[in-house]
Amino acid sequence: MNRTEPVALTGLGCICALGSTVDACCAGLFQDQRHLAPPSRFTSAHAIRYPVFEVRGFPEVPGLLRTSALALHAAREALADAGLDAAALQGLRVGVVVGTTVGSTMNDEGFCRAHRADEEPGLAPMERILNSNPAAVLARTFGLRGPCQTVVNACSSGTDALGVGAAWIRGGLCDLVLAGGADELGRITYNGFISLKITDEAPCRPFDRDRKGLNLGEGAAMVVLEGAASHRRRNRRARSFLLGYGSACDAYHPTAPEPQGAGLKRAIAEALAGAGLPPEAMAFVNAHGTGTPENDRVESRALQAVLPGVPYFSTKGFTGHTLGAAGAIEAVFTAVCLEQGRIPANLGFSTPDPELGGTPVAQATTVTGLAALSESLAFGGNNAVVVLGKGEQA
Amino acid sequence: MDTKARLKSILADAMNLPDLTLDTYDDDAPLFGDNLGLDSLDAVELVILIKKHFGMEIVDMEEGKTAFASMNTLAAYLDRRLPA
Amino acid sequence: MTRITVQGLGLVGGFGTGCGALAQALALGRSPRSSLEVPTGAGPVLLDAFRADTGALKDLISPKVLRRMDHITRMALLAARLALADAGLEASGHEGLGVVLASGYGATASTYGLLDSMINDGDACTSPTHFANSLHNACSGNLAIALGANGPNLTVSQFDLSVPSALLSARQWLLDGRVERVLFGAVDELSDLTGYLWYRQHGPTGPGPMSPLRTRAASALPGEGAAFLLLSSRAEAQPGYCTLENVVLGPGPMPPTRNLLVLGADGRTATGARYAAAAEGAQVACFTPLYGSMPVAPAFDLAVAALMLRAGTLYPTPSGAPCDFPCVVAPAGPLAGQGLTCLALGDDGAFGSVAMRPISP
Repeated sequence: MNRTEPVALTGLGCICALGSTVDACCAGLFQDQRHLAPPSRFTSAHAIRYPVFEVRGFPEVPGLLRTSALALHAAREALADAGLDAAALQGLRVGVVVGTTVGSTMNDEGFCRAHRADEEPGLAPMERILNSNPAAVLARTFGLRGPCQTVVNACSSGTDALGVGAAWIRGGLCDLVLAGGADELGRITYNGFISLKITDEAPCRPFDRDRKGLNLGEGAAMVVLEGAASHRRRNRRARSFLLGYGSACDAYHPTAPEPQGAGLKRAIAEALAGAGLPPEAMAFVNAHGTGTPENDRVESRALQAVLPGVPYFSTKGFTGHTLGAAGAIEAVFTAVCLEQGRIPANLGFSTPDPELGGTPVAQATTVTGLAALSESLAFGGNNAVVVLGKGEQA
Repeated sequence: MDTKARLKSILADAMNLPDLTLDTYDDDAPLFGDNLGLDSLDAVELVILIKKHFGMEIVDMEEGKTAFASMNTLAAYLDRRLPA
Repeated sequence: MTRITVQGLGLVGGFGTGCGALAQALALGRSPRSSLEVPTGAGPVLLDAFRADTGALKDLISPKVLRRMDHITRMALLAARLALADAGLEASGHEGLGVVLASGYGATASTYGLLDSMINDGDACTSPTHFANSLHNACSGNLAIALGANGPNLTVSQFDLSVPSALLSARQWLLDGRVERVLFGAVDELSDLTGYLWYRQHGPTGPGPMSPLRTRAASALPGEGAAFLLLSSRAEAQPGYCTLENVVLGPGPMPPTRNLLVLGADGRTATGARYAAAAEGAQVACFTPLYGSMPVAPAFDLAVAALMLRAGTLYPTPSGAPCDFPCVVAPAGPLAGQGLTCLALGDDGAFGSVAMRPISP
């Protein structure tokens, strides 16, 4: 496994239940804010009203799925943060890679109901989906001329998108890449996760002994990845650096993680090798930490084995599990935590579980390290990890 | 049709397990693990099938685990809990 | 520069199963047509379609493993196993094998199955199996399990450009030395949903063969199937089919090339004019009438290109000329060391091109 060139992150954008900007979201991490409530935009006939983390006050965009609209919002913030307007983007090869789950599924309940009832539904709902491929929407909106890719790797899509984008930059395919993830809350996903019996009716409790499952969330995060030449020329400060990326498939089960965490350990090893850094150089780990019994057990044990003593925490107590957006949102959080030299408490944790590897961060803490790790574990057995480095002073 | 026969017919169809309806199928054999190849995803599907066809809710998967041990234990579990 | 070769091909589609079946269809210039029953408000409508039969799987995979797999996963698994066998590799135990999958529409049959369970039986009876199977990466996850492939795993969904987009990443993995072999595949299925979508977009199917080079006429027929390529950056024991030279994606127009163009034109008027513009004056071939129209049809174009490059022979374009734009439809005959470029266009004008060359001795 080879050392890879660092790739600068010169722009960050984020929207989730905590807020609609990077600053609002990250401030929320240190204010113990938790905006969790039963869904307001859809109903479900379940007796238990499993709560979710909604993005509040976000307007619908006609003709576009909410997922793509969220991606656009985060992309606008990231581009502005990178000092890139339409003129600056002209003549540059800018790629787009976005991770999603809901944003690519040909799912429309109204359409299906009508079709199954032997009606002849019009194609408008399907056309909206066909028009809403997240990467294509961003490329079209900003007139980007590089490669375009929507990654559909379930819950690791956001982290994988960053890895794909960085590889394009290092491979000389693009000057810049807009990379990230987006996913919206919806009735079908909601019912699907409940059917798997991995949701909690109370606020989720990542790594806690009494954890019962996850809360779903929605949102988007995008980053501007920038190659060395463009970075030097534009002289824009890097908020962070992508130092390494690793991924590996458990090849074990469609929805359960492999108990020994072998895939996760391989992904971590690849990411660290790419960064050229040893485990002890990690200031912290932004864990996947969904709050499901299985994930938290497997993940914490793997972390204890390969990153002993490195503080870890889950931010899903603040955002819920945002599926395809999670890896990207958490990468943004990781970058800002390194920037600010502090990490939040693992909201939802109070009682240690002796079966787990150690305990997560219990209260907000200062950190002085220069690199950190963010990881995502997905249905389908994917494990994806990024190592981010502290950015440049403004 | 008795509960066990009804269960077998439902599972054979919904979970693609034709062997269940064979005369040679051993009703005491473990449902999960190597025998039929059922796993945790099948366990939650089974919960849904029981709710749909028998109107019964299994809330606690631990309770489900004991009931799901074999066709016989599952049929007995349903017979105990269904109205006569 | 790292050399990437195509080591194995695995295929299932309207032409049948395996390279031999595709080669036969190429020689004959046609594939057997089947039909697709589409539910509509006026009762079921029968469309002509190219269907994929996964019957051959039962000789390769145990019923226990197949049990929960839906049609799209079965097509992919069959093609994946055939590609590995064609490459002279074992069926499983593939430590470190990378898997990249492209799908335009994903698992639409399972998506409808999920919605059916919700609609017919209520929210509390939503089927977790259909939910798990409806995820876009369920297919590649199941492949990884069946093949013991524990390397990196990526699924891409980009509609008509899914194949070149996914291939770009697969190629980069090999160039970066992340893995030495990638199982690259693409799959799309016909279902009640995609069938209805087709019917509303294109109407009933016509009697004639597809004639995609008549770009102003609508002649498309729906198809489904899976095409897998085993890509390698190693010096392998067998020479392989061809090299993978380059993959380019962009908003268009495609940069000029001296290669013969294998066009992804498929008889749909949405893209017909764009193919005519892109291929004007070029040497072209088009084989989509052998597998039909689907977002991942370009993966079958790659397979055809690989077959031709290894044989050193160009197959005739089925229903060949006439074409309604200025180009040279390449006749059957020797390839004389020439490279091929497979061109896929999206209906917004974006393109994906894949350049391939014969293996030099």
